[in-house]
Amino acid sequence: MTNTTEIDPAATPAGKPPPRRRRRRGSGWEGLIYVLPAAALVIVFFMIPLGMTIWMSLHKWPLMGKPRWIGLDNYSRMLGDRDFWGALGFTAQYTLAATVGLLGVALILALMVERPSRGVALYRTAYFLPVVTGFASASLLWAWLSNVDSGLFSPLAQMLGLTAQPVNILATFGPAFWSVTIMVVWKMAGFYMVILMSGLQSIPTDYIEAARIDGAKAHQRFRYITLPLVRRPFALALILCVSGSMLAFDQFYIILSGGPQNRTVTAVYYIFNESFVSFRLGYGSALSVVLLAILMVLSAIQLRLLRDRRES
Amino acid sequence: MSSATMDPAVRAPVRARGRGRIRYHRLLFHVTAVLVALLFLAPIFWVVAASFRTPAESGQPPLPPWPTQGFSIDSYLRLEKFGQSILHYSGNSLFVAVGTAALTIVVSTLAGYGFSRFRFPLKGLVFLLILATIMVPFQSILTPLFLLLAKLGLQNTLIGLVLIYTTLQLPFSVFMMRNAFDAVPREIEEAARIDGVKGVRMLVQVMGPLVLPGVVTVGLFAFLNAWNEFLAALVLLTDQSKFTLPVLMTAVRSGRFGSIDWGAVQAGVTVMMIPCLILFLILQRSYIRGLTAGAVK
Amino acid sequence: MKITTLTGALILAAIGVSGAAKADTFTMWVRSDGSEFMPKLVEAFNAKGGDQAELQIVPVNELVQKYAIAAAGGSAPDALSLDLIYTPAFASSGQLKDITELAKSLPYLDQLSPAHLSVGTFEGKIYGLPFSADASVLLWNKDLYRKAGLDPEKGPTNWAEIREAAAAVGALGDNTYGFYFSGNCGGCNIFTFTPLIWASGGDIFADDGNKATLDTPEMHAAIDLYRGMVKDGVVPPGAQTDTGANFFAAFANGNIGVTPSGSFAIGALNNQYPDLDYGVTLLPGQDGGVSSFAGGDNFVVSEGTDKIDAIKAFLEFAYSVEGQTILSHNGSLPVRADVAEAALAGLDARYLVSAKAMTVGRTPFSIVFNDLINSSNGPWVTMLNRAFFAKDDAEVQQAIDDGQEEMQSIIDAAR
Repeated sequence: MTNTTEIDPAATPAGKPPPRRRRRRGSGWEGLIYVLPAAALVIVFFMIPLGMTIWMSLHKWPLMGKPRWIGLDNYSRMLGDRDFWGALGFTAQYTLAATVGLLGVALILALMVERPSRGVALYRTAYFLPVVTGFASASLLWAWLSNVDSGLFSPLAQMLGLTAQPVNILATFGPAFWSVTIMVVWKMAGFYMVILMSGLQSIPTDYIEAARIDGAKAHQRFRYITLPLVRRPFALALILCVSGSMLAFDQFYIILSGGPQNRTVTAVYYIFNESFVSFRLGYGSALSVVLLAILMVLSAIQLRLLRDRRES
Repeated sequence: MSSATMDPAVRAPVRARGRGRIRYHRLLFHVTAVLVALLFLAPIFWVVAASFRTPAESGQPPLPPWPTQGFSIDSYLRLEKFGQSILHYSGNSLFVAVGTAALTIVVSTLAGYGFSRFRFPLKGLVFLLILATIMVPFQSILTPLFLLLAKLGLQNTLIGLVLIYTTLQLPFSVFMMRNAFDAVPREIEEAARIDGVKGVRMLVQVMGPLVLPGVVTVGLFAFLNAWNEFLAALVLLTDQSKFTLPVLMTAVRSGRFGSIDWGAVQAGVTVMMIPCLILFLILQRSYIRGLTAGAVK
Repeated sequence: MKITTLTGALILAAIGVSGAAKADTFTMWVRSDGSEFMPKLVEAFNAKGGDQAELQIVPVNELVQKYAIAAAGGSAPDALSLDLIYTPAFASSGQLKDITELAKSLPYLDQLSPAHLSVGTFEGKIYGLPFSADASVLLWNKDLYRKAGLDPEKGPTNWAEIREAAAAVGALGDNTYGFYFSGNCGGCNIFTFTPLIWASGGDIFADDGNKATLDTPEMHAAIDLYRGMVKDGVVPPGAQTDTGANFFAAFANGNIGVTPSGSFAIGALNNQYPDLDYGVTLLPGQDGGVSSFAGGDNFVVSEGTDKIDAIKAFLEFAYSVEGQTILSHNGSLPVRADVAEAALAGLDARYLVSAKAMTVGRTPFSIVFNDLINSSNGPWVTMLNRAFFAKDDAEVQQAIDDGQEEMQSIIDAAR
């Protein structure tokens, strides 16, 4: 609850004292009028359905037919649902791989293109382009490229002599998982590159120059000057990346259909299956509530880390 | 690669050695950067080039990706056979994307201004309320959403989709716009107020131009996300004539009679990607600038 | 017979008259598998003037879900051509209109496909009427048979012959494979794989669908047949991840020796791949015997519709000789026995094989069919995918054990 008010001062440009808000402004209600449309949309199209989700989670609620109140049965059933915990475990595994891959690649790209010079603008554009293509198009594209008969990867590997036979990379867990992760890194690295770059660019050049003159090595300059200053954008990138990956669905649905052998069913995918394939809306809602709680906790932890660092 | 570039530096007089090394580093940098850029652009190039192959070729591995048996738009023509014209579905997508962008801009600019410049009851709670939506997977509220849209008489309409997309867009956009307003020095506002500017005029005429990069970013993100979103559209639109492009493409991809037309998939992916790429290339400066401003804050 | 025709004519005349006064338009959905015959049928019906049908083709994997959501939101179509296996689930949930009266008014009701009617009847009331029919069969490529030195006119009659033929064709090399199946598609395999088990005397359900019986000698033997061919390298690598998108096209492209498929493929192959020389035979058991999956669509009506007269007119048109002929010429089998011969007249003999398959065909009954079998992450397809591509026997056994356990728990949870 208090987290947002804590971010507030942080929202002012570094170095300047936080401006005092609302100086001698009239009635306290004018601001509310400005935020009313946004609040109304969120209430009608988000909070009410969210409340309905919680309400539905206490029912046996088929998509067709009459719902029936069953109290906490859905939640107790969940405890013994190995598939759901398996899906959560896989989601965590994917989140770890995607976050490390994305932020790692994004940082390297950001360091490459942070300073303006000839050609750099073009590189930035190139690295960023996949971001705007959308997960559905990118996944359809990757589904094609990964196809063993009509795609690119397997025939290319064969042509280069890496494999003797056509290899169906989507058939076994390892290659399939990494193929999708690489797709995500390809598609999203540019986005995080820009966020990290904005942090790097906020570092005054004189700091670096001064450090260089003082004889600081490149890695020392990075460790003691760059890193502390990029913490905030890095934390933002981390939060976006973790929550985005925890909610992954499109790529595993479109490219892998949850396969091979259901091993790439993510948490959201599992909820989707329960709700929209098996039509157990009540149970699906209960799973959503749990996933939501997990995400809230994760975000709260990350926000706290971010705040503590800023204050230290 | 290295010996040719090294040579001049090695043979150069001692005085010039530093400059030579820098030049060598720069060359190495550019070579790497170009290779990485090609890597990032390759899949896009591949699918666009492959979409112009003849029907006979379109099922073959894309080596090379470009047409070798003559240029053909047959893949696009085959797309036409799925339901109504591809232009019709593009129109649906365009309506949803433009509508979402416009509504998001209006709503989030107002809210950003309100959060940045005013204090009012429940401010923290309302802000949290809006931001918290980013943490909730919207997949989990799709069914209640559908029942709700039905109650409002908006089921199976693109307007219903616009309202939902806008809501999903709000946490990012409101956060963005509040930061954009925060970055505007108060002196400008004070000066305008002394000149007698108030209320919505203040917002539109004085603040508007100053937060324009933020507005463009917010609009662009809303447009792109609405254009590309497919799950909500898939579940919420049951009337084929209302389909957006991604939903149409899942139908194409699932194939008819158990045969998948990769050529049509390539063409569809191209149709879905190209407007995004063009829009981004035109608006890139304000887009990146706006995003950067948002991230630093 | 004469009376029948007369009644039909009278009804048609009556519709013609009242239709001129107040022609109604009703909406109708069909899954994408029907995209070959349904538009033609609707076109012919609409061309008559009178009532009109408005058709929407829905991707096969999304039909149930889309319909359920539309029904919940009050925007369901008036009528729906529904995969017959879903009729029990839909009827039990109260979404469908009781059309017993409409059915009883059809003079040729006793001539309509009994397999369809049995799953279309729920608690003594009729909710679904036969609409299109599809039976699983075995296809073989005669050109490849010739190249491999096999008799092109003789399809496999037992599993050993399937394997021999697949090995011979697979040995041709050059991107040619002996056998194909969609290894990650539950719907495809219930349709084409289960008949192998049925024909050998086994079954996957017992006790009216209340018991899953996966761990049987017949199941093990059938899995070993597929697994053996995978091991021999006569199955293309793409099969392992094919979720059904390539179910038809793999064989149609002409580099597959033998594949189990459906009668729908005959119409589609003849229309789209006229040059492909192929044969059709019944799916055999381990040591002979035959079976088939009697599939297709039931025609069901949404509870809330008020267009029942227009719907009836459409059904009567579909059951007429003209309607049945349109169906038969575009990938479906006739569903009305007394006009089947007339409807199939002039078609090649391969259609007769699949019409025969329909008569030996079976349809499994379960109200959780979708969860068990068709769901792309369900126990059936997960088990088969693991077992078909297993490295050793222990893995096969494990896959079957897991599948059995999960299937039974889904069945139990639904009761």
